[in-house]
Amino acid sequence: MSRTAVLPVAHAEWIKLKSLRSSLVSLVTVFAATVAITALVFATVGVAEADNADAEPLFDAFYAFNFGQIAAISFGTTAVSSEYTSGALRISLAAVPRRGLFYGSKVAVVGGLALLAGLLTGFGTFLTGQAFLGDDGLGLGHPGAVRACVGGGIYLALMALLAVGLTAVLRSGVAVLSILIPFTLIVSFVVGDMDSGVAAFLPDKAGQQVLHEAPTGTLGPWAGLAVLAAWAAAALLAGWWAVRRRDA
Amino acid sequence: MTSIDVQDLTKEYGTTRAVDALSFSVRPGKVTGFLGPNGAGKSTTMRLVLGLDRPTSGTARVGGRAYASLDDPLRHVGALLDAQAAHGSRTARNHLLALAVSNRISARRVDDVLAEAGLAAVAGRRIKTFSLGMRQRLGIAAALLGDPAVVMLDEPSNGLDPEGIIWIRELMRRLAQEGRTVLVSSHLMNETATFADHLVVLGRGRLLTDTPMPDFIEAHSHPRVRVRTTDPDRLRDLLLAKGYVLGDADDGRWTVEDARAEEIGAIAAAAGIPVLELADERASLEQAYLALTAAETEFAATAPAAAPSVQEA
Repeated sequence: MSRTAVLPVAHAEWIKLKSLRSSLVSLVTVFAATVAITALVFATVGVAEADNADAEPLFDAFYAFNFGQIAAISFGTTAVSSEYTSGALRISLAAVPRRGLFYGSKVAVVGGLALLAGLLTGFGTFLTGQAFLGDDGLGLGHPGAVRACVGGGIYLALMALLAVGLTAVLRSGVAVLSILIPFTLIVSFVVGDMDSGVAAFLPDKAGQQVLHEAPTGTLGPWAGLAVLAAWAAAALLAGWWAVRRRDA
Repeated sequence: MTSIDVQDLTKEYGTTRAVDALSFSVRPGKVTGFLGPNGAGKSTTMRLVLGLDRPTSGTARVGGRAYASLDDPLRHVGALLDAQAAHGSRTARNHLLALAVSNRISARRVDDVLAEAGLAAVAGRRIKTFSLGMRQRLGIAAALLGDPAVVMLDEPSNGLDPEGIIWIRELMRRLAQEGRTVLVSSHLMNETATFADHLVVLGRGRLLTDTPMPDFIEAHSHPRVRVRTTDPDRLRDLLLAKGYVLGDADDGRWTVEDARAEEIGAIAAAAGIPVLELADERASLEQAYLALTAAETEFAATAPAAAPSVQEA
């Protein structure tokens, strides 16, 4: 693989992404929806919740991540599924026949953009929400706050990459979205509340450990994120296997 | 010189053998027509040449190298596979720009090929608003993007209007004259005869013919002449006397089998018979092709059985 080819191919992937409305909208939505929902929630119920003795102020600051992660999943999915509509992959692979270069560039561009959007979202969400709480609000100096903002950004990027890998395996955006969105919205809520040992290792449950001020359970904040990273890596590897092996 | 070399190429999908021990070469400087009925393996062969599908066995090489090993392959090989494949949400320009950038082709070249394909005015429109003919033109523009020495077009005239068909025909002729290797698939013999110098015919994945176009015409179609005169009776007697076989007569119009216009014209002139119309015809080219591929047609319409057999209890 010639070293010089990497940048042009990554640049081409960026052009493909930004010229596709569905992907671009999902990416912007990661930030916009998360911050907007945060503003809405904190403007209405934030102060009341802040007085609640059971509340966990740091984790609650990222409540809107429940929605932001769906946008992140959509972004990763549409970025790849666009290659599987009506044989577009053939055009892409005719231009970049080295499949490792093609897939690697796509993963890097999607992951990079998702990380950028994720970090902006992490800090944006935290600062926006806390601003509504006035004197009750947390600052970035609060224990674990910066870690949660950075980790939250990585969390969103990893969820996007999980979707990238799954989409490359299943070759269908609809299939991936109809697995991942119900999973994060329902299954994980229900199973997660059972607090069993296994549930803690589900990708979203494990990854969200990083948003807690003092995580309980087996996994610490970074260990939890590492578990999510392992899920994403497994999905990306399976996707690579599919892209490398299958006829286009 | 860059040629396409297919050697013992076989591709199986499950139990179906789409390409079967296929060997042929496509040479530069001429247009090679790639013919065969639907399902004969033409598109599969092109995908194998581009490394999109993996051969079950055998090799397909461009300029002696596997396509996937080429640096910036669009600068070597331009291909139109399926005009519907471009993602509809992108504009024509962005679609080509992404391809150009990935192969280090200048953005100026994008505007050049858009203009060449007659799409300059719609470069900023989303591809999903394009007609089939415009998509074909976009696919051809993409194939020309890297100024490649090898051009492969899968049924390029699909959906083109008559003006577009003339355009693509002249484009292919010009590309060949510039010394490029041009492989063009079609399932229409008469259309292919208008632009191809060489002919490769497939049937059920096997090579049926690999021959220069004039040789194929010579071998498979006998010449005949269409003639119209104000004095059909005298011309008929004259031609029959000279041993010609006459085809259908209709309103003073004859066809003369196994003859050329210059012979018939000379005979009529010598006898002082006025000729209103005189033309060579190659009517049986399509028939020759159909006869060649008849046994190898996968999706031929079969005549229903004459009478259903009655099963006895």
